[in-house]
Amino acid sequence: MPRALALILLPALVLGGCSRQDAKLEQHAKALSSLTATTAAIGDAWLAGFVSGTYADTALERTLQLVEAERQTLGGASYLLIDPRGARLSRQAERVSRALALMVKSVRDSDAGGLRREMSEAVSAGDGSR
Amino acid sequence: MSAIFDLVLGIVTSIGGFVEVGSISTAAQAGAEFEFELLWAIAAATVMVAMLVEMSGRLAAVGRRTVAGAIRERFGIHFQILPLCAELLLDVLLLAAEIGGAAIALTLISGVGFVWWILPVGAVVWILLWTCGFAVLEDGIGLLGLVTLAFVVAAWRLEPAPAALGAGLLPTVPDHDGVRYAFLAVSIIGATVSPYLLNFYASGTIEEKLTEKELWVNRTTAFVGMGFGSVVSMGVLVTAAMVLAPKHIHVDSYEQAALMFVPPFGRWAVGLFAAALGVGCLGAAVEIALNAGYTLAQVFGWTWGANRPRRDAARFSVAFTLILLIAVAIALLGFDPLRLTMISLALTVIILPALVLPFIVLMNDEQYLKQHTSGVAGNVFLAVLTVLSALFALVVVPLEIFGG
Repeated sequence: MPRALALILLPALVLGGCSRQDAKLEQHAKALSSLTATTAAIGDAWLAGFVSGTYADTALERTLQLVEAERQTLGGASYLLIDPRGARLSRQAERVSRALALMVKSVRDSDAGGLRREMSEAVSAGDGSR
Repeated sequence: MSAIFDLVLGIVTSIGGFVEVGSISTAAQAGAEFEFELLWAIAAATVMVAMLVEMSGRLAAVGRRTVAGAIRERFGIHFQILPLCAELLLDVLLLAAEIGGAAIALTLISGVGFVWWILPVGAVVWILLWTCGFAVLEDGIGLLGLVTLAFVVAAWRLEPAPAALGAGLLPTVPDHDGVRYAFLAVSIIGATVSPYLLNFYASGTIEEKLTEKELWVNRTTAFVGMGFGSVVSMGVLVTAAMVLAPKHIHVDSYEQAALMFVPPFGRWAVGLFAAALGVGCLGAAVEIALNAGYTLAQVFGWTWGANRPRRDAARFSVAFTLILLIAVAIALLGFDPLRLTMISLALTVIILPALVLPFIVLMNDEQYLKQHTSGVAGNVFLAVLTVLSALFALVVVPLEIFGG
């Protein structure tokens, strides 16, 4: 009887663990995708002259903090990093972070060309998370 | 004529004072993640808060008691001490979140880190509380709060499909992220049915000397004011659904939320969003701090009233000052105001049953309400709300963990 119970429970636990991990990864992918879309929206609004450099700077800095928080969460969970999808997400987050940092610099330098370049890098880095 | 003027002013200020940090954040998150699917939660929460506010006003107008005062008198301090502590803790957290929200609004415009704005915002709140009477605090800030109608204008300019809006008013089973959907629905209710609102409204009824003869003013203000106020909240949700949802932008910060105004307002977007967020939060901060003073004074039998000279109500004045100082200290720690808001809303939902349950007894007590006690409909509403709020209180923590 205990063996039969174990035979039933073990696959259920393994499957449950897997689906929880899948859900976690999906959650992180969605968060990164949302932050990448935010980055693009802020960049587009600044390039179109709808928002000031002050706002763009503040909003990009905040987005950078949120991407970094995502990256740290992924990096702090070894079970997520072992999964190739988790490792890929972590690398994408790092690329988005770097592009965001350069976008902040471009806004401060009023460099529209630089911002376009870095925004495109951020979007292409984040696209893999969708 | 004076009653009509009071009524119009009451309705207008209810609209202006409806939206604050909790309603903006929950409605924006709901719209960005589930489009119009959670409009029903705002509608349901509005019915709940309008009925509770009407009852609080009726209790105050007929029985000359506020909610906190009547509970203290009817149930005693032993019954009240735990809900009182929970409500004060909630007031402090919400106040810190509102101050943080107002500081973020200033950051959006100035670029200076929000923590630097905490002390100036706290000082403005205290100066307003110390120098202004109830009418200026309530009506002045409520009128300024009409800037939040920008959310309704934004939603209207984006031309949402009426059929989709109508469908959103009916609860549905979401096709994705069911736990998150449930969490946001409960949070919207927590943001709308704020405990501070009930005692603040009752205290205001006494401050404004509303009597039994003017119960119709109380009823109309509660239902019409809250009804129109909820339209502002729905405006936030609809705007987020029309602008942020198609881009898959979730609202994790107020900086992201500000983007929802770019398509409808262009160059005015950030300024208008900051004004709406800032004024909404400042108004709520004043009301919450004042209510903490009211509650403590009413429970312990101190002299209270925003219309009294501060030296005549010294303990009341010290109480709201201390609560404000604690909230400013918490806000200065630099917690993310959005996260703080969501935690406060979960706590609101947890203490809601302790707040609603005494209403059943109070609203049926002829000593307080004479012939104006609750009818069958009122009692059924309170019973259903008690059961629902107990259910929400049980599920909100697991929902916060798995869907927050």
